[in-house]
Amino acid sequence: MRSVHALAAAALLLLPAYDLASAGEPKQGGILRVYHRDSPGSASIHEGATYSINIPFMPVFNNLVIFDQHIAQNSQDTIRPELAESWAWSSDNKKLTFKLRQGVKWHDGKPFTSADVKCTFDMLMGKSQQKFRQNPRKSWYDQVSDVTVNGDYEASFELKRPQPALISLLASGYTPVYPCHVSPAEMRTKPIGTGPFKFVEFKANESIKLTKNPDYFKKGLPHLDGIEFTIIPNRSTAILGFVSGKFDMTFPTEVSIPLLKEVKSQAPNAVCVVEPINVSTNIIVNSSSPPFDNIDIRRALALALDRKAFVQILFEGQADIGGTMLPAPGGLWAMPKEMLESIPGYGPDINANREEARKLMQKAGYGPDKRLAVKVSTRNIPVYRDPAVILIDQIKSIYIDAELDVVDTAQWFPKVARKDYTLGLNLTGNAVDDPDQSFYENYSCGSERNYTNYCNKEIEKLFDQQSAETDVAKRKKLVWEIDKKLQEDVARPIIFHARQGSCWQPYVKGITIMVNSSYNGYRYEDVWMDK
Amino acid sequence: MTTINFDSELRRAGAHSTRGWRRLTFLAQRYLLGTVGLVIMVLFVWMAISADLIARYDPLSVDSAQRLAAPSAAHWMGTDSFGRDVWSRIVHGARISLAVGIGATALGSTLGVIVGLVSGYLSGWVDLLFQRITDILQALPLLVLALVMTAALGPSLPNVIIAIAIPLIPTVARVIRANTLALRELPFVEAAKSIGMSETRIALRHVLPNTLAPLIVLATAQLGSTILTEASLSFLGLGIPEPYPSWGRMLSESAAEYVRTAPWLVIFPGVAISLAVFGTNLFGDALRDILDPRQRG
Amino acid sequence: MFAYIVRRLALMLVTLFGISVIIFVLLRVVPGNIVDILFDAAGFVDPTDKANLEKELGLNLPIYQQYLNWIGGLLHGDLGYSYVSEKPALQEILPRIPITARLAALALLFSASIGIPLGVLSAVHQGSRLDYTLRVVSLSGLSLPSFWLGLLILMASVSMFGSMPIYNPNPKTWTEAFAIYAVPAMAVGFRSAALTMRITRSSMLEILRQDYIRTARAKGASEASVNYRHALKNAILPVITVIGIEAAFLIGGLIVTETVFNIPGVARFLVEALRWRDYPIVQNLVMLIAVVVVVANFTVDMLYAAIDPRIRYGD
Repeated sequence: MRSVHALAAAALLLLPAYDLASAGEPKQGGILRVYHRDSPGSASIHEGATYSINIPFMPVFNNLVIFDQHIAQNSQDTIRPELAESWAWSSDNKKLTFKLRQGVKWHDGKPFTSADVKCTFDMLMGKSQQKFRQNPRKSWYDQVSDVTVNGDYEASFELKRPQPALISLLASGYTPVYPCHVSPAEMRTKPIGTGPFKFVEFKANESIKLTKNPDYFKKGLPHLDGIEFTIIPNRSTAILGFVSGKFDMTFPTEVSIPLLKEVKSQAPNAVCVVEPINVSTNIIVNSSSPPFDNIDIRRALALALDRKAFVQILFEGQADIGGTMLPAPGGLWAMPKEMLESIPGYGPDINANREEARKLMQKAGYGPDKRLAVKVSTRNIPVYRDPAVILIDQIKSIYIDAELDVVDTAQWFPKVARKDYTLGLNLTGNAVDDPDQSFYENYSCGSERNYTNYCNKEIEKLFDQQSAETDVAKRKKLVWEIDKKLQEDVARPIIFHARQGSCWQPYVKGITIMVNSSYNGYRYEDVWMDK
Repeated sequence: MTTINFDSELRRAGAHSTRGWRRLTFLAQRYLLGTVGLVIMVLFVWMAISADLIARYDPLSVDSAQRLAAPSAAHWMGTDSFGRDVWSRIVHGARISLAVGIGATALGSTLGVIVGLVSGYLSGWVDLLFQRITDILQALPLLVLALVMTAALGPSLPNVIIAIAIPLIPTVARVIRANTLALRELPFVEAAKSIGMSETRIALRHVLPNTLAPLIVLATAQLGSTILTEASLSFLGLGIPEPYPSWGRMLSESAAEYVRTAPWLVIFPGVAISLAVFGTNLFGDALRDILDPRQRG
Repeated sequence: MFAYIVRRLALMLVTLFGISVIIFVLLRVVPGNIVDILFDAAGFVDPTDKANLEKELGLNLPIYQQYLNWIGGLLHGDLGYSYVSEKPALQEILPRIPITARLAALALLFSASIGIPLGVLSAVHQGSRLDYTLRVVSLSGLSLPSFWLGLLILMASVSMFGSMPIYNPNPKTWTEAFAIYAVPAMAVGFRSAALTMRITRSSMLEILRQDYIRTARAKGASEASVNYRHALKNAILPVITVIGIEAAFLIGGLIVTETVFNIPGVARFLVEALRWRDYPIVQNLVMLIAVVVVVANFTVDMLYAAIDPRIRYGD
């Protein structure tokens, strides 16, 4: 299942992570020291949409169900019980019922019951009195009509139509169960969970501290006494801290390829893996105003992309090229290679593609003497800015002179929402490798995150069709067709899917980095240190 | 009184001839450090003006085959993570630094002169008001005020110039005001008044030219600190945005990732900033010696 | 003297009031507010949620009302709540002050212990090769950006020791404490050492030219006695006052240095808070800096006035 593109050396380094059995009995104790890449805005996972929040706070919570923390590829087959002991679909596939675990206590000693489940999901659906400040994943529950309880230890999700993917969404690190009796404001500053670790303190720009929950419902867990995150935004400093042994682990999926080389030369014993993070870098095209209202110019743009060059420059070759869905082998829903290469712009002959692009541009009235001037808007963050610089350089070849327009974080989404851009460089993260999450959020008419306002009623029907399909093989075929069509429409050209490295010291055991999501694998209840 | 009088200055220093080439070489010898500073400044200005000729590559051109190349004959100062030529970026970066340095100093000085002249000449409540405003501006360190202002205005070249210029106003205004106050009492101004010259005219024709010398000294001294402030702002990510090759931002990017693996990305932009500022400081020092002999050490 | 002090105090208040207004207005000119930033992570901004949050944070009130609320609170020692952490701003700011103060104190110590002796040396040997060299060195010190110096120190530390100082709130050993505070302090202090040296030199020179020094010389006092007993004693006052003012202006250097060395002090906090548009933090931090600067200036003026009565009649 692992990425076959990974270097042989990296593959060798991977072995210890799976070597749980031979590593012997887990040792108890120790504080896991990890650096954190930035200071998260709050401690409330439901109110965030970045793994800067998931990673430090996932250990505080439990879900109803969770993806197996030691199988790198998340899928419906790897979903395990957590606060729910078991679950079952009704015969019409419109009701999902969970039997809940008894005797679980919140960190403040109150008992966990089905009411907490109802509270959490009512709040996520916007139905409760108490409101989140922001609720980025409300649309995940669009098909849920109600959450009902039956006694203290049973909860059911009633659906408007079958949606087999719901269980995957519930198994994400993004979907912890919150306590009823704690307000959303308190959850942002002093989160209370049922998880293996209790929240101790969060000092902005400085540190986040968690300590062992001695009353954790899984007996004998966690192994660690605590986890400490030190916030170090400068990557070079952070890596040096890791190399010199000040940290047991890097921030997961944050080590860039050049820095990874440095780690390998400085700390040859460190265990490092490079995995897809299921975040795609893409171009948002404003097709509602000139010049990109012209489909020829949009097509020319798609043809001009040299995706391999992006991957070469930014990842030294270690990133994946594909459509909307995460490419194989990490991704479950990627279309076959032949199908991908039949999409305009994905073919291997870049020069031929660009020749065709120039013809399209000439047809639209541009040429070497009449170049098109545009702005490429993006955020003032290196992961956005860096690919934008390359994009600008590449589209020079098709008579487009682009200027970089760097937008402050506070103004980015308002600007995009106003359609105040021509071309934009954007990142789209997918917490769960499932088409329901990705298609509805980014391409359905009227979705808040559909920045380009791409709206195609026919495709929309296909979205619903694949979503309700319970036969996985049939669903895959549908998904491929949709993905291909989205690329051909140049709705939001996907440039690449990033990969990032994670490293830990050889004595850290029990860590698995997921290959198709960077949001779900941080419960850390059975992580331990052999020292 | 501080008027520019090279000839007497030269004679005092023991020059026999005050003409032409000899005069120049004498000055260069007498103010060796200042001359070195001037040469550095001229070099940077020349670099900025003819950047397109000196740069060997397009400073924005990305080359995936040449990433993070160490300095070599092809790339004198190596390349960055995009394969962009560092030497070309530094040469073009001189434009940014000089544009900000000169732009902010000129804007700050002009505003400072206006405030100082008006304040010193009109006195009364206008003076009082202006004085309080300069107090306020002076109570915040240059970088703090510039930071808040760029955050408020947004990162762009003109905004950075404005953000750095405003904090420069008080120093200039103070000097000009003090000078104006002193000048107002002098006989020739009295005389001008008695023959019915208008106040504005007196201010512009007589007072202003006589405050020029301290102004030049001050402006040169500030040039260095404006360049440094721009570099600091860009280093903190609030200065000149991509794609302009600002020295400070070149440093902030390499500092985050390449301190070890590509030290040339840290060394050369820093050398460029330091050298440019060093040049203006040397020159400014010498200029002060020449124009403001009271201060001479 | 009393009237002078009262007048100066009144002016101080006027200045602080002016700063509070300017900062408050500037921050509200910024396009995009905290709400946009907080919502940024979500990938979109929901208008109803946004309006709710603005109401919750009091951002929907008229500007003057917001200002009065802030100042009113400030007078009672209530700095408001950080938008981001939702903790009292005071609680966020206070623990960071000692970190920055320690750095600043060390930097000043460093700059004085290097700058004053070299300045004296330079002045006493005015015109010599030593003087010349020292002047060039001090000028180059003024030309090095402190963040670059910090980076060079880090690079050197890595290549020599294979490691670099990483901030730790509770250093275990003396060497660790030294690495954490003294090294960044040197990076900041280098610049002010250069400045201190230049000021020491020129004020030394001024005094050496004065009559009583000539008298001392004429009376046959030794060269060393003249230089160090008479002149330095008198030259030191302006130097100390300048160091006092410098303390406030070190802030600029501290901002970049705390960023380079990842030190969680107040100076870097200002940059972070600006990035988050965390108004309560930014406002109060800027006021804190202004108070430090204004009080430092005031103290220096008082010192001067106490020594030289003529000052009181000037402005």
